[in-house]
Amino acid sequence: MPWLWPSLITILMWGVVGLFQKIGSNHSTSNSLFLWTTAGYIVILPFLFFDSHLLSLPTRSIGIGVVCGFTNCLGAWSLYTALERGARASVAVPLTALNPLVTLVLALIILGERLSAMQSAGVVLAIVAGVLLSYETDQPKHDEH
Amino acid sequence: MKADRQVWHWLGPALAALVWWGLFGFLAKLGTADVNAYDMQILFTIGAVPIAAYIILRRLRMKADRQGRIIGTVIGILAGAGGIAYFAAMARGKASIVGPITALFPMVTVLLATTILKERLNKAQIAGIVLALISAALLAT
Repeated sequence: MPWLWPSLITILMWGVVGLFQKIGSNHSTSNSLFLWTTAGYIVILPFLFFDSHLLSLPTRSIGIGVVCGFTNCLGAWSLYTALERGARASVAVPLTALNPLVTLVLALIILGERLSAMQSAGVVLAIVAGVLLSYETDQPKHDEH
Repeated sequence: MKADRQVWHWLGPALAALVWWGLFGFLAKLGTADVNAYDMQILFTIGAVPIAAYIILRRLRMKADRQGRIIGTVIGILAGAGGIAYFAAMARGKASIVGPITALFPMVTVLLATTILKERLNKAQIAGIVLALISAALLAT
């Protein structure tokens, strides 16, 4: 399972990001946090060019990569918008946590991926777990630390 | 509650977030077929620029104190590193497995929030942790 280790690293990194987002929301508006996050993305760019083959990539692949980043940021932006328009975080955040369901359906239909019974059970449980984990009872923001 | 009556006001963008993020996972799989994880992260960053530019140009409620700016930058660095690992996982595994399993990252957030921010776990989150562990066991065997 060559995908397991990088998946665990992702879970760890993004999990820590979630903690920083909680803390950061007391020190920044969501728009501003988004901008500084983008600044952070840019900070690591120089390290990424060491193993870059960008120039030899077909236009289609470059397009997919760029749109991939765009959709991710658009997702964050949409959630901020929902929260600004009065969505309760306890409802909206678990709702958006259903997003792997969309990935799953697209992968099954368009890419023709197939899962064993065991894997199917694991995937369904993971999606339900993701929704439950992102449920937070609505409460006032943390006090300034 | 006021929030309930406004449901149609926010449901659209919330569902949009769900779809955009789901599409993100799919595109990550599609892209990593012939783009390495580092290049995917470079392209990802380019994709983030139009939205950042929109916020700056429209001068949309931008306000952050010094700590907020530092935290934001650290978030970008960690999210970017996580992104590279995510693209690597997508390149090596099925999107139908890697997508749902990496979406378990709130487990780490919840556990850190209980230890560092002294937040209490609610019942849903406890159930979520149990299911996440069962799911990981099923997928990793």
